[in-house]
Amino acid sequence: MAKWRVFAALLAAGWAVLLAAAPASAHHSFAAEWDSTKCRDFTGTLRKLDWQNPHPYFYVDVKDEKGKIENWSFQAYSPVTLRRNGTDRQVFLDNINKEVWIRGCLSKTGKANAAAAGTLKFADGVLRQVGQIQD
Amino acid sequence: MRTVIVAGAASLCAAIASIAALSAQTTAPTNQKPKYEITVMPPGGPPPRLSDGHVDFSGHWFPNGAGQGVSGRYGVDPEAIRQFDPKATPEERPAFQQWALEKIKSMTPTELELSKSSVNCMPRGVPAIWLQNPYTTYIMHKPGVMAQMYEVLNNWRLIHLDGRPLPKDPEPFFHGNSAARWEGDTLVVDSIGFDERTYIQPNGWFHSEQLHVTERYTRPSMNYMIVQITVDDPKVLQKPWKSAPRRWTLGNGEIYEFYCTNNKELEELEKLRQQELKQK
Repeated sequence: MAKWRVFAALLAAGWAVLLAAAPASAHHSFAAEWDSTKCRDFTGTLRKLDWQNPHPYFYVDVKDEKGKIENWSFQAYSPVTLRRNGTDRQVFLDNINKEVWIRGCLSKTGKANAAAAGTLKFADGVLRQVGQIQD
Repeated sequence: MRTVIVAGAASLCAAIASIAALSAQTTAPTNQKPKYEITVMPPGGPPPRLSDGHVDFSGHWFPNGAGQGVSGRYGVDPEAIRQFDPKATPEERPAFQQWALEKIKSMTPTELELSKSSVNCMPRGVPAIWLQNPYTTYIMHKPGVMAQMYEVLNNWRLIHLDGRPLPKDPEPFFHGNSAARWEGDTLVVDSIGFDERTYIQPNGWFHSEQLHVTERYTRPSMNYMIVQITVDDPKVLQKPWKSAPRRWTLGNGEIYEFYCTNNKELEELEKLRQQELKQK
């Protein structure tokens, strides 16, 4: 168990180094609207994509601990930035109704079921940066 | 509880030490740069020239040293991300007049955010398009005129190179009113008459009707365009401000449509601004 914990700590630390090395977008201040102290993991089913500037939004059915399903919206980088880093519209469309993992942060206004996505993984397991990473 | 915290801290230290040890074993000597997938572009030979002999600035220009998008990508050499090296060419801070500094400082964080073109979807304008723009610019240049097409917000601007003077009574435009001249291989563009809603940089740096912007364009080689900006605005600044020479690199990728039609942030930011005003 202790070995597992050290392994997990190593993994987490390595992860942090990897994320810190990834460049952030110079778009605007994340902190103005999103709370970097309220970031969490989400797992759910991708249902819909709204692919427009300045930010696309995608919608995911997320199941909570009690099994209740809630539809969440996630804000991402601009379409231009996403296209250039390899996560284009078609990648999202190909994953509609499939499982997605997201690391994202909640809205500062307390808006229900709304978050800014930082990283995500579709079924192919590829880690994709789709927004500013805060933690 | 204290024992748990101490144990946790010790575990963290052990993990960091393990990573350091592992890193020391597996990485190359420190004087060797890691291998990056996206690196700084080579100069690419001499710049092209127009039929009139002047340097041709045509091309799809990226605001970095990579000639491609760098945001949200892994394996990018940090040297390729920035537009200038602050150690080699430090950029001075603007010297604001006291009243202007007080006005900027009085902005709440949300007011500051709402003032940004990237949030409110108004044109960045000149010179911000060269100073606060992570998107690309496509330039079409021929003798007599240069067309600058900015990817962000689908804005564009024409700079006439036929020697016409600045207007005496300019209309306030987001991109100002320009007159251009050549100084050797440097294209110098003077502009006056700006819309008061533009900001020089996304830090609250507003301008007055006295704003006079000078852009200096050079293309030292095929793959590089350098843009240096001087901002003269005696009402707001104690002395003119000069930017570092900022590099843009030639890329082959597409320029995309960017009409800002899905701005859901304004509503949320306005709620936060109302909260801030109540606290004032």
